[in-house]
Amino acid sequence: MRNRLTPITLGTMLVALYLFLFAPVIYLVYASFARDTVWPFPWHFTVAGYVDLAGARAYQQALWNSVVLASAAAFLAMALSAMGSIAVLKYRHRWRGAFAIIIVSPMFVAELLIGISTLIFNRKVLGLPGNMGSAIVANAVHGMAFGFLIMLAQLVRYDWRLDDAAQVFGAGPYRTFWYVTLPNIWPAMLGAFVLSFLLAFNNLEISFYNLGAIPTLPSLAWGSLRYGLKPELFALAALVNGVVFAAFAVIYALMRTGLVRFGYRGI
Amino acid sequence: MSDVAIGIHDVTKRFGRTVAVKNATLEISQGEFFSLLGPSGSGKTTLLRIIAGLEAPDGGRVTIAGKDVTDLPPYARGVGMVFQDFLLFPHMTVAENIQFPLRMQHANRATRDERLAWIVKLLRIDGLEGRFPHQLSGGQQQRVALARGLISRPALLLLDEPLANLDRELRKEMEVEVRRYQRELGIPFVYVTHNQEEALTMSDRIAVMRAGGFEQVAPKLDVYIAPATAFVASFVGHANRLRGNLRDGMLDWKGHRLALPKIEGATDGDAIDYFIKCEHLTIAPAGTSVGANLNRVDGTIRDIIFKGQVADHLVVLGDGTEIVVSEAASLPRVKAGDAVSITWAPDAGRSFRALDT
Repeated sequence: MRNRLTPITLGTMLVALYLFLFAPVIYLVYASFARDTVWPFPWHFTVAGYVDLAGARAYQQALWNSVVLASAAAFLAMALSAMGSIAVLKYRHRWRGAFAIIIVSPMFVAELLIGISTLIFNRKVLGLPGNMGSAIVANAVHGMAFGFLIMLAQLVRYDWRLDDAAQVFGAGPYRTFWYVTLPNIWPAMLGAFVLSFLLAFNNLEISFYNLGAIPTLPSLAWGSLRYGLKPELFALAALVNGVVFAAFAVIYALMRTGLVRFGYRGI
Repeated sequence: MSDVAIGIHDVTKRFGRTVAVKNATLEISQGEFFSLLGPSGSGKTTLLRIIAGLEAPDGGRVTIAGKDVTDLPPYARGVGMVFQDFLLFPHMTVAENIQFPLRMQHANRATRDERLAWIVKLLRIDGLEGRFPHQLSGGQQQRVALARGLISRPALLLLDEPLANLDRELRKEMEVEVRRYQRELGIPFVYVTHNQEEALTMSDRIAVMRAGGFEQVAPKLDVYIAPATAFVASFVGHANRLRGNLRDGMLDWKGHRLALPKIEGATDGDAIDYFIKCEHLTIAPAGTSVGANLNRVDGTIRDIIFKGQVADHLVVLGDGTEIVVSEAASLPRVKAGDAVSITWAPDAGRSFRALDT
């Protein structure tokens, strides 16, 4: 009895699966180049949406704000999650389980609540107005929880006795970190950075409550929805997707050609 | 005494409620190959880590070359170390790994390259400098780890079961080599192992450890021939333990009356452990006449386990007790199933008052 899938069945299933996953994205890119974004059939090619986007100062400002916010928050989150994961994995303290739960706990709080509570706390207790700084910090707390889990998963394989070896051979704590720990754990740190960056870049709720009038890409896009789906929104969404796709393509190419290993040594 | 390279004075270390090392006092001389031998959990690795500075003792002092280093961190002690599992830095090449201690000492490039050339030649790993640790065989990794431990010409080298992960043939080869490097460099090696053969092959002196304390600290031959305690007698070498009671100055063991060396302070009826090494027993076909002053028990050969130079003869006595006799295998005078007599000179064995089970 043959119960193997024929190539045709398998192919059909694959196409269906990828369509299910990517049809919305493909449609979005397709529509962004159409004269009528609401019903782009038949298709009349235009780059008017992109031209509008390039001319819209508000979007450029929002993009800049988002990049600053996400970079700073991701850097903070990466540093915090690195410290947290090293603390939990290297120094096997009795309370490390409780410590780990505290670090990941922001993950279980709705982003909306993180946003509102940070705003209220800063305003009422610290007397600080909502601004870029508080949005960065609030996003970093959120990113730290995810970054911590990523680093934990990768660093369980790291042998902390290497740090012992470095110390015996004359490296103090800073040089041990710089020469031995960091070169081995940076791929995990990069992973935490990328994830925190994407979370903060795409975040609406946390940033919105803390930033007030300062626009980010998500808040601008969300605000403009009230005036209908404009062509420049399609262009913006298509561009963001394009950048992410290009970034992964570059990473893939680099790893395939062996130019960058991201810590993978074929062991 | 200026000859003392490492001094350990009344060192104690606790982990929670367990005492890993208790009141250890020890002096190791310049140029000595010293082994800490004991089963796992005996505190030997903890003691080594205390010398390296990787563990802080709860009490006592550690000196290196006459200087009190107890409160110094590991990176200020200037010791070399070879770790179990090698612990080579995976992101560095062989050359970078070996030169790491020199780099940490801010040695200039010329010195680093000169020392590297010297050590790879000494350890016969030249040609591997550009490889990464995962591209090396176990034996090569072992040599790189040794090179890294020795390149800065440390005051002493600590070795934590460095041969445990090598296969048997390679281990035999490395035992001889490690000993040779120690002789050539003239610095003390402190070697931790649970493998008595390694300790006996390489060491000048051995400290046998149990439960955080020293059972015996002595030249290796003394440890082998004249064990100070019942634990050492059972742990070092391969011995048969005969437990019986003292009667009229003889050992009453399962109905056999055996002569034994005198034990200080033992009186009639005391429980006695008598240890006799397998190679000190002689086997002969039953009925062969034996010297009057030898101990003798009779039994049947159950099996002969051929090991090369020697064969272990498993002899079952009348009551089912098994005795192991190691004898040269070259002349098979006996075979499995034969009735035999086992004889030995009484003072070849060691007797102790039985303390516990």
